[in-house]
Amino acid sequence: METPSVGKILVMTVSLLIGAGALFLRARIPLPAKEDATFIPAKKKRNLLMFAGVLSLWVFTGLVLGLFGTGDRTLQVTISPARVDLFGFSVSSSVAIAWIVMAALILFAVLVRIFAVPRFQEKPRGLQLVLETAVEAISNFAKEKFGHENDGLAAYFFALAALFIGSAVVELFGFRPPTTDLSMTLSYALVTFVLINYFGIRKKGVKGRLKTLTKPVAVVAPFKLLSDIAVPVSLACRLFGNMLGGMIVVDLLYYALGAFSVGIPAVLGLYFNVFHPLIQFFIFINLSLTFIGEAVED
Amino acid sequence: MTNIGLIAIGAGIAVFTGVGAGLGMGIATGKAVEAVARQPEANSKINALLILGLALTESTAIYGFVTALVMIFTMGK
Repeated sequence: METPSVGKILVMTVSLLIGAGALFLRARIPLPAKEDATFIPAKKKRNLLMFAGVLSLWVFTGLVLGLFGTGDRTLQVTISPARVDLFGFSVSSSVAIAWIVMAALILFAVLVRIFAVPRFQEKPRGLQLVLETAVEAISNFAKEKFGHENDGLAAYFFALAALFIGSAVVELFGFRPPTTDLSMTLSYALVTFVLINYFGIRKKGVKGRLKTLTKPVAVVAPFKLLSDIAVPVSLACRLFGNMLGGMIVVDLLYYALGAFSVGIPAVLGLYFNVFHPLIQFFIFINLSLTFIGEAVED
Repeated sequence: MTNIGLIAIGAGIAVFTGVGAGLGMGIATGKAVEAVARQPEANSKINALLILGLALTESTAIYGFVTALVMIFTMGK
């Protein structure tokens, strides 16, 4: 912690006074009835005071937090996460965080099973409504893409989506999300690759699956084989690149704002940690189901 | 000996793939808007197709981005 200069203390005091004063004044302005002519000017005044108060308090918070900063900030970005020591084993930090996320999800599932599911009613509300909507959405989606006989596929993709979004939200707590590790996204993609071949072989047999390579003419077989192998690579790289890009943008914002990174990153985090992973994973599931459907159809 | 400057130029060229992806995504979105304007009742179907197409188009930009990152973080050492 550094000792602040006189000017800094002055700015801090002034911003704190302005912020507290504005919020205090805002509370003092009475809000007339909605039909009243003075309603809109009073509302505007209150909004303006709110804005000034929050802005000054934000400046004050940033200045106070700046006192605790070390001063030499550097932007640290690597494509491979750091390694941690876990019970004598050296594992990647993304593996450890993924385990934590899995444990949390399993705990949540067990708690829901024990406490919430027995109390489900005919008319859903609250948690039941949320769960039913999510399950129904993904099961309808899988059915629409793939037909009726595979409820297991929908369950698998739902579990994967929960893990993926849980890992992305971890970044809000200050950890590096495991989804920014190529090995995690590649493992997702490899499972999809196995599923594609499993369903293809189950439907057509090994011979039939190999025969699809020679359609429409036998000459294209090497290219078709290559494009089959390219599927998991492209799925993995797409997910990895998107997640890493989002993480770098958020890191850059923290770096640029420094001690003033209060409040603003939360707004951006709503997009980069919640909405963006959701969309990307929707695309991942969509593509996986499309490829699986392609392998099954004749 | 590694030349940081050359790596930086290479990374810059790699992310140039974004130009193609941007053009493609723009064209696709424009066409989707045209299609919805012509047939508003097919909105949801067009939307699903558009998102799938955009994802596939975007992947070229992402490949360039990943290539640039790999160049910067692994070749410089």
